[in-house]
Amino acid sequence: MNSLRSRLLLIAAAIGLSVFALFPRNTAVREQTPDGTFVETTKRLWPLKYGLDLQGGMHLALEIDESKGAVADKKDAIGRVLTTVRNRVDQFGVSEPVVQQAGDDRIIVELPGIDDQQRAKELISTAAFLQFQIVDKTNALEKSLPRMDAVVRARGLDVAVAAPGAAKGPSAAAPLSGLLSGDTTKKAGADSAKAAVAPDAVAKDANGAFTRAIQPGQFPGQYFVKETDVKRLDGLLSDSTVKAAIAPGKVIRFGSDTIAAAPGQGAYRELYVLDSRPIITGEYLTNAKPNSNQLEGGFIVEFEFNAEGGRIFRRETGKHIRDNMAVVLDDRVVTAPTINSAIGRNGQITLGGGTLQDAQDLALVLRAGALPVAIKVAEIRNIGASLGQDSIDKGKLAFGIAIMMVIVIMVGYYRFSGMVACVALALYIFFTLAILAGFGATLTLPGLAGLVLGVGIAVDANVLIFERIREEMDRGKSARLSIDEGFKHALSAIVDTSVATILSGAVLYQYGTGPVRGFAVTLVVGVAASLFTALFVTRTLLLLWLDRTGGTKPLSI
Amino acid sequence: MLRIFHNTKYDFIKWWKVAAIATIAFMAIGLASFAVTGGPNYSVEFTGGTLVQLKFKQPTDASKIRAALDGAGIKGAEVQQYGGADEFTIRAQDKELVASQAAGADKVEDQIRSALSKTLGADTYTVARTESIGPKVGEELSRRAVLAMVLVSIATLIYLAFRFEWRFGVAAVVGTLHDTIITLAFIKLLHLEVSLTVVAAILTLLGYSMNDTIIIFDRVRENLRTAGRTSLHDVLNRSINDTLPRSIMTHATTFAASLALLLFAGEVIRPFAWVMTFGIFVATFSSIYVAGPVLLWIEQKFPRKAASGVAARANDVKPKRAGEAVTR
Repeated sequence: MNSLRSRLLLIAAAIGLSVFALFPRNTAVREQTPDGTFVETTKRLWPLKYGLDLQGGMHLALEIDESKGAVADKKDAIGRVLTTVRNRVDQFGVSEPVVQQAGDDRIIVELPGIDDQQRAKELISTAAFLQFQIVDKTNALEKSLPRMDAVVRARGLDVAVAAPGAAKGPSAAAPLSGLLSGDTTKKAGADSAKAAVAPDAVAKDANGAFTRAIQPGQFPGQYFVKETDVKRLDGLLSDSTVKAAIAPGKVIRFGSDTIAAAPGQGAYRELYVLDSRPIITGEYLTNAKPNSNQLEGGFIVEFEFNAEGGRIFRRETGKHIRDNMAVVLDDRVVTAPTINSAIGRNGQITLGGGTLQDAQDLALVLRAGALPVAIKVAEIRNIGASLGQDSIDKGKLAFGIAIMMVIVIMVGYYRFSGMVACVALALYIFFTLAILAGFGATLTLPGLAGLVLGVGIAVDANVLIFERIREEMDRGKSARLSIDEGFKHALSAIVDTSVATILSGAVLYQYGTGPVRGFAVTLVVGVAASLFTALFVTRTLLLLWLDRTGGTKPLSI
Repeated sequence: MLRIFHNTKYDFIKWWKVAAIATIAFMAIGLASFAVTGGPNYSVEFTGGTLVQLKFKQPTDASKIRAALDGAGIKGAEVQQYGGADEFTIRAQDKELVASQAAGADKVEDQIRSALSKTLGADTYTVARTESIGPKVGEELSRRAVLAMVLVSIATLIYLAFRFEWRFGVAAVVGTLHDTIITLAFIKLLHLEVSLTVVAAILTLLGYSMNDTIIIFDRVRENLRTAGRTSLHDVLNRSINDTLPRSIMTHATTFAASLALLLFAGEVIRPFAWVMTFGIFVATFSSIYVAGPVLLWIEQKFPRKAASGVAARANDVKPKRAGEAVTR
């Protein structure tokens, strides 16, 4: 009786603990308000977390991109990337994001419940390297063009494009080169002493890879390129011999946005020739925020340098009054305004096009800082929230049906003892969920499947015991003795199977990833819970029955 | 008291030749299929590649999606209906496409997204799920999956050798290997895709099959103690019959649960459910007809020393710890 009481107390305690573990509690969450901003609030939440595959979201693995130059100290670099990415994710405002290092050279980012996945990916993986560079006024491009064309021709880099270009004939190429050569002679001719060479070179290269595609823009150093040519020229410009042909101390950069020209003329992109030395970079930025552009419409990002940055910026801009200064983000020119007077700590970047969200995102990445090295995506998985909800709903349905079928089978076959087993089964589910919640484990779709399957497997222990009890009763033993012997004999098989399952679960956890780990966790927790319910709860309930009946009635099993 | 298969005396082991032929035939069909059309389909998780799952507002046709991709020059992507006529998956596992993902796993996905929104209209569908795996991650995931399988087998072998005798462990692991091959053949014949989830299902199934074998071997261990001069053949038969009601009940409930998963838990988990549902039969079969005969074969090749007399036999087979637990 005493032992029965302590058994019941222990079960009651386990139930109590489980209720506590599963009870909804106040959790600090970050929520998006209808106007798009994020606020910290507390909410009463069920403590069991859903994995990304159930609640929807994005899983992202990032690696250092070494395609454009090796990174010397990878360990240090990945650490700094981690800090920046964490900064950005924090400012992005997602509830319960995960940003962690995996292995030596990878960063895992998990953003639950993200609805605009493309945007989130951009925000995290963009380098956000901000530079301010003075636009060239010395016609460096015009001087370099013949040499650049010659290099391209000599190395045969333009072959693939030259052929179709030639086939199309004058209609496409002629007007462009006509515009350009007229302009070039006017400008280059004026200040070039090598008049003997220049006309010859221009005439010779009118169909050169660069010359035929580049038109002068609105001020020196700015040019226009047809959008259709951008990709080709970008490819050519990344070639090291072509780079070497550009005037020393200058770099060529494209604009970030496409400009729609007059109807029928197609889209254009700006191209700039800039001093390769930036007057200042984004590392001095202390703050950046989006705003709407009062004068011209559209949006701007206002930024602020620290004291040292402000000094440098004032000095440099003071030297370059009347020049154009290009704001270069990740090697693309965002805008290139004229410097009217020396600028101090506060400045602004005018976005050519784009929405408030673009301005917000730019401000965010500028605030969070640039990535120290280029990174690339090694793995990305997105699960829509509706698909996740669908999985939850269907998983619950399957779970309910599985339980009902198991109850029918067990009660139909074992009658009273079957009902005892069902009580144990209910407790098994309850305990499993509670342990998962208590350890802060995440419930994934395979985990849910493991839970459903666990219902089937958990009754195995009960079945083993009941069959043994039946055998003992067949030998004419009393109910009490049969129960004792039945549990004793079933024990070794139950322990062996459980340990084997826990072993596989542990290996799965160690070597599995993502959802599979969730599965391994539910499997192991499930086995532990089923050991307790089958060996302890079922036995206690049968002992309780013995106690009530005095062991005189035959056991319904 | 409702009873099924109570006190049966079926000679299960007698049919082992028939069973062997049946299972070898199934394996042969599977392997032949491997030889003709290559191994099973591995998911993008293992091969690297891109999977995009779309849900359209209106039922549409796979050929339209295919045309949109072709128009954008994305070759070697497979379009399949997934569930209803408004859901489709696009799989890009083509070698060239995968190789291009080395520079950034999201490249192909971005191409597919822009091709679709340009041709089909961005508001006619939603992207329900995407997986873009770079080749390096794919290799890592497959290496880890294989490692997990091997380690599970080794861990169980060691545990069984420790708890039983080595011959039981070997027999159980051979049964497990059989299950793996048969399941792979089944996966191939059903055109299921081997994903991480399916690997998890295979590992669960191996654990389940191992359980089943352990239950029978546990009985063998117990029955051998009172076996006297009875041959292992007969002891095995008796043990299978003894545990038959338990086997039927457990398989019935587990089958019910995995059937519920198969029918109601949705498309994403279906491959997992297929493997489990099929696996229950395989596990039952292999515990009786693979692990059992292998145990007998080992017994023939390496007979126990002093295989006569009750005491000697009992001592030999009595496991160090389990014996205590049982006889205490």
